[in-house]
Amino acid sequence: MAFRKSLVGLGAALVLLGACSDEGSDAGGSAAAPAMPTQIEAVTFGLNSDVAGERLYGRECAYCHVGRNTGTTMLGKRLPEGTPAQLHERTDLAADYVKIVVRNGMVNMPPLSRAEVSDEELEQIARWLAKEPAQ
Amino acid sequence: MSSSPLPTGVSAAGFSAALAAFRSALGEQGVLDTDQDRRTYIDPYAFGDGLDHESSAILAPAEVAEVQEAVRIANRFGVALWPISRGKNYGYGAAAPVRRGDVILDLSRMNRILDVDEKQANCLIEPGVSFFDLFDHLWKEEIPLWMSVPGNSWGSVVGNALDRGIGYTPLGDNCEAICGLEVVMPDGELVRTGMAAVGEGKTWRNYKYGYGPAWDQMFMQSNLGIVTKAGLWLQPEPEMTAAVEIAFPEFDDAGWAIDILCDLRRRDIIQHNVVFGSPVRAASVLTQRAEWYEGEGALPEEAERAIMERFGLGWWNAKVSFFGPEFQVEGSMQLMRDLFEERLGKELEFRTWRKGEPYDASARGVPTTVGLQSVNWYGGRGGHLSFAPVMPQDGAEVLAYAKRVKDIYREIGQDYYATFTIGRRHINNVSLILYDRDDPASTGRADQLFNRLVVEAAKEGYAEYRGHIDYMDTIAATYDYNDNALLRLNDKVKAALDPANIIAPGRNGIGRRG
Repeated sequence: MAFRKSLVGLGAALVLLGACSDEGSDAGGSAAAPAMPTQIEAVTFGLNSDVAGERLYGRECAYCHVGRNTGTTMLGKRLPEGTPAQLHERTDLAADYVKIVVRNGMVNMPPLSRAEVSDEELEQIARWLAKEPAQ
Repeated sequence: MSSSPLPTGVSAAGFSAALAAFRSALGEQGVLDTDQDRRTYIDPYAFGDGLDHESSAILAPAEVAEVQEAVRIANRFGVALWPISRGKNYGYGAAAPVRRGDVILDLSRMNRILDVDEKQANCLIEPGVSFFDLFDHLWKEEIPLWMSVPGNSWGSVVGNALDRGIGYTPLGDNCEAICGLEVVMPDGELVRTGMAAVGEGKTWRNYKYGYGPAWDQMFMQSNLGIVTKAGLWLQPEPEMTAAVEIAFPEFDDAGWAIDILCDLRRRDIIQHNVVFGSPVRAASVLTQRAEWYEGEGALPEEAERAIMERFGLGWWNAKVSFFGPEFQVEGSMQLMRDLFEERLGKELEFRTWRKGEPYDASARGVPTTVGLQSVNWYGGRGGHLSFAPVMPQDGAEVLAYAKRVKDIYREIGQDYYATFTIGRRHINNVSLILYDRDDPASTGRADQLFNRLVVEAAKEGYAEYRGHIDYMDTIAATYDYNDNALLRLNDKVKAALDPANIIAPGRNGIGRRG
């Protein structure tokens, strides 16, 4: 159990030590922190989902917005307490808002082009995040 | 009404006719030319608004034949194309062309994983495949092959390799994992290199060189063709891994520590590129500068020490991993203990993984975007730029250079952020420059620092291996043997293969005409 011990000892810092670190596991994290998916869970989020919106969110958004990744970390600092930093846990997102942010970017989030995420795909992601029925 | 610039040398009527021809070849989905489309391709880390590198339109082909047709049309109308794989080349200009008004050719829609050969540990992929896509495919299909991933994994596997990006596991010199390319030439002809040129490419991914001159390198960091498929070697899953983070407490420890790590790398005991990084590297991912210091000038030493203390870091921090059969990995762990524990006065704590255990504890490369967090260091809309000259594997020389660079950072008032990346026979000293893109004082410092570093490195005979679109000529000029004979050679080849200068004019300083 050397792994757990070392993470407890050094805290979350080492988990995120390197910009190039492959670590993202929550194993051994402090009890107060909300449970976060591991990096592999974040990267493979929605991979086998039958819901197109969730699958597309997993493919196009989860690498920043699930787990301890850039989008989650930046939003975590900016959002009011109690608002989840992972987008799929939010209940206050409107589909149109999601679409505007994706196409225009926000602060440090770069916009995504129509070649990367088509309008049809974005519609499905936005509706899924807004908990609206798929079209 | 579009406010688009025109491609260089093309009239409004000519551009309009070219767009119509592109639309007829690529379909409506393949031509993106609204103002919003063009804005999404502006470098998110540009100094200021980035409009000095805005494109006039974007082409997004879905098939190789469409790429060929786009190139033929571009030649017919004299419209220059700026090819990108996925355009996530952050810190180097992202998707944006060197020359304002050039048309971006985005290969994001060509994102098929055409084959993975589990037994022979390789794959054949298109340029739109991201690191996440490839990881997901290997994961979903339960293929026991591992991949090299870079610090920012949002980008293209092929694009990163072509730009000579790196990862931190075996086969991490990504350009060396490339084995055989399919390329659309500047006249639209389709060429396959190496063994891919034989029949249907049965041994495409087995042997890199083919017969006669080997051309794969010609298409790396180049504007001599557009890569549409690449063979790539992958790493068979090992039986065991062990990873250790080593904190070196003092700045001067870089000298001896780098000598030891480089020796292990040259002997292939360490099988991967090692990163050796300063405190701001970790702090900028986890926190913002204002938490440590709000004054003018560079971060004071007390703040650097406070970062180290809070996060349990050293002045330099290295991560080393071992991959292989148990006896080999355990032998390497013992060697590391013998080399470092007495010098550091503490035990190394390895994180080990054995085949069959959950992968979270393994040293497997898992794609991530965590590193992008660092651009938030100064607040506002952040960006980063890096100057990373190639250096010899000599600890004393590297340390002396690092001290000079640190002094320059301090003089200019920029927070020192450096890493040494240890390759097979070289070191890259990455000087990372973080800034707030909307603060002219901040971007001015970044520009001043970059230009100073180019000069400082060149004095020692060191030059950058990769270039940002704003500095491609500056860097090309430092390759100055025999009055820049190499640049003249590049330009001659460019003129022979691409007489109309259609593909990425100015890329890496090549093809500046017009």
